[in-house]
Amino acid sequence: MNEIQSMMTGVIRENRKVASDQFMMTVILPPSFPIPAPGQFVMVREANRGEPLLARPLSVYGFQKQDDHAVLELLYRLAGRGTILFSKMKPGDEVALIGPLGKGFTIPEGLTRVLFIAGGVGVAPLIFLLQDRFLTAETEKGKKPIFYLGARNVNLLVGLERLNGLCDLKLCTDDGSQGYHGPVTELLKSEIEGYDPKETVIFACGPTPMILSLGRLLKDNPIPCQVSIEERMACGLGACLGCVVAIRGPGRKREYVRVCLEGPVFDLKEVLPTSSVDMQGSENES
Amino acid sequence: MNPKSEEDRIELQDLTIAIGSMTLKNPVMTASGTFGYGEEYAPFVDLNRLGAVVVKGLSLEPRSGNPPPRIMETPSGMLNAVGLQNIGVRDFIARKLPFLRRYDTAVIANIFGETVDEYRQVAEILNGTEGIHAIEVNISCPNVKRGGISFGACPDAAAEITRHIRSETDLPLIVKLTPNVTDIAQIALAVEAAGADAVSLINTVTGMSVDIERRRPHLANVTGGLSGPAIRPIALRMVWQVVRAVKVPVIGIGGIMTASDALEFLITGARAVEIGTANFIQPAATMEILDGIKDYMIRHKIGKITELIGSLDTGTQGNC
Ligand SMILES: Cc1cc2nc3c(=O)[nH]c(=O)nc-3n(C[C@H](O)[C@H](O)[C@H](O)COP(=O)(O)OP(=O)(O)OC[C@H]3O[C@@H](n4cnc5c(N)ncnc54)[C@H](O)[C@@H]3O)c2cc1C
Ligand SMILES: Cc1cc2nc3c(=O)[nH]c(=O)nc-3n(C[C@H](O)[C@H](O)[C@H](O)COP(=O)(O)O)c2cc1C
Ligand code: FES
Repeated sequence: MNEIQSMMTGVIRENRKVASDQFMMTVILPPSFPIPAPGQFVMVREANRGEPLLARPLSVYGFQKQDDHAVLELLYRLAGRGTILFSKMKPGDEVALIGPLGKGFTIPEGLTRVLFIAGGVGVAPLIFLLQDRFLTAETEKGKKPIFYLGARNVNLLVGLERLNGLCDLKLCTDDGSQGYHGPVTELLKSEIEGYDPKETVIFACGPTPMILSLGRLLKDNPIPCQVSIEERMACGLGACLGCVVAIRGPGRKREYVRVCLEGPVFDLKEVLPTSSVDMQGSENES
Repeated sequence: MNPKSEEDRIELQDLTIAIGSMTLKNPVMTASGTFGYGEEYAPFVDLNRLGAVVVKGLSLEPRSGNPPPRIMETPSGMLNAVGLQNIGVRDFIARKLPFLRRYDTAVIANIFGETVDEYRQVAEILNGTEGIHAIEVNISCPNVKRGGISFGACPDAAAEITRHIRSETDLPLIVKLTPNVTDIAQIALAVEAAGADAVSLINTVTGMSVDIERRRPHLANVTGGLSGPAIRPIALRMVWQVVRAVKVPVIGIGGIMTASDALEFLITGARAVEIGTANFIQPAATMEILDGIKDYMIRHKIGKITELIGSLDTGTQGNC
């Protein structure tokens, strides 16, 4: 169960387009909003609208706490009706928020090499993780984090301004308009031998095809990888059992666990992302 | 207005209702499968203020449920095909019930099975368990022996389950009816005759939705159960039909999002209501509904909720 979570109304300070299909929303919240851990998410709904009915899960992209308020940043892709309606909201409009929810990333002890693998809007929780946990002591001890960031084309690469200087950035685009020409996982594959499994950890978030190919790439590789998984949600609180993903539980037994409560961050080697929402890749149980 | 006198009147309001031998402090309960085992909502809801908590459906053995995707939002509602995933009745008693026992709120165990005997065994285990105040029987499950047709769609099968559970327990017995039938009043009459203390309705309405780009169903299970505001008028109509057919109390369920929705059901004759999908959208929905019912009673100078229940005035209409 989540220890601290709350339900609050936030006021939009800014809601702006950052790429042709992505927006960033900044929300002002009461200072009592619990501090989120990287990888956690919030359930977001337009406060005064009846439809769509359900809130949408969005990862925490940034968070700052001040004396008299807190600032929450969300980065979202226009995926369908709910997110398109979010993009039409104006400064001053209210959002209803539940959170922070879920189990975020765990930082193992004694790390020297940290790799981030992000596809598209999957960059959101990873940038928060990088900024929140890898600016200080950890990085001084070890090597600079390496951030593999992929998108369909150069115009869809977002968050670069937050990454500059914090890490070695490796950009990939599907059309070759910037950086490596091809998927992030392909670039990683060509470089994976250079990383020592004993001192490396990977944090990943992205679309299902990316997660599946990462699963294939790391199938026989001992580098640990934590991945944030997406599934449709209704409650976000562990009550509806709507958001499950299959994992290999104890004894390698296949079982369903809730992305909102046991996740959204899982060990890549345990999780079997069958569908996530688009029902592809069930043939690919890594 | 003198604020003190208003406060006095609030204190004087009587929201208690009876379901069989059980007295509830108010008619606002949670619907099975939408409130987990209560603890998921404890950060948002004062569980002590609820009339009752109805827990997620329990079976004899744990069940893993259906593959994802399990849910899909639809106009004014949602489809779910969770497949009755649950931890099993024994684990519920060992691991979840102790938390609920700490609250002064009735706990109603929702149960289901694939055979009549499975239903009976779950009831047997629950009977005499401290902290269980009533049993709600979900009869919408496919009857494996009768070719997969829902128990709840057949008056004989519904009555048979009710009789078997009745013989196992003296706990108040609520039978939860499915709307996916031709004549819901007939099923209600059958379970009443078999010993049910109350009926609750409705469970979800079977529905479907298709992803046209992929030409695939949105749910891995193809079909699912529709809940939310979309089903409310259907639920209310069925409550109306059942209230007129049976003598036992009727509990109204289906798309209740606000106090005024709940009041529609109470006025139509439901003795209590269960709040389902609304919890997903507003975790404190039950509290808002309870407060709204109290406000309404003050506004209409109603001292006892029982005065309101079944007070619907149809004039000369609607009796045919
Ligand atoms: C823990 C978690 C964190 C997330 N963080 C972010 C984030 O930071 N930024 C962001 O842009 N998106 C994020 N998502 C995905 C986001 O929730 C969905 O894109 C959104 O709910 C779609 O809503 P919609 O109404 O716009 O689209 P819909 O009309 O509901 O659906 C459009 C398409 O998106 C798919 N979809 C619907 N719901 C989800 C979902 N919950 N997850 C994935 N795909 C979905 C549908 O199957 C369909 O293909 C996250 C999802 C989860 C589970
Ligand atoms: C996700 C979900 C899970 C449910 N699980 C159960 C269940 O285990 N047992 C049961 O009797 N009803 C179950 N129901 C049905 C609800 O209890 C309720 O009858 C139905 O959703 C209609 O009410 P609503 O429109 O207020 O949600 C479930 C409904 C939903 C949405
Ligand atoms: S979204 Fe309801 S259990 Fe996860």
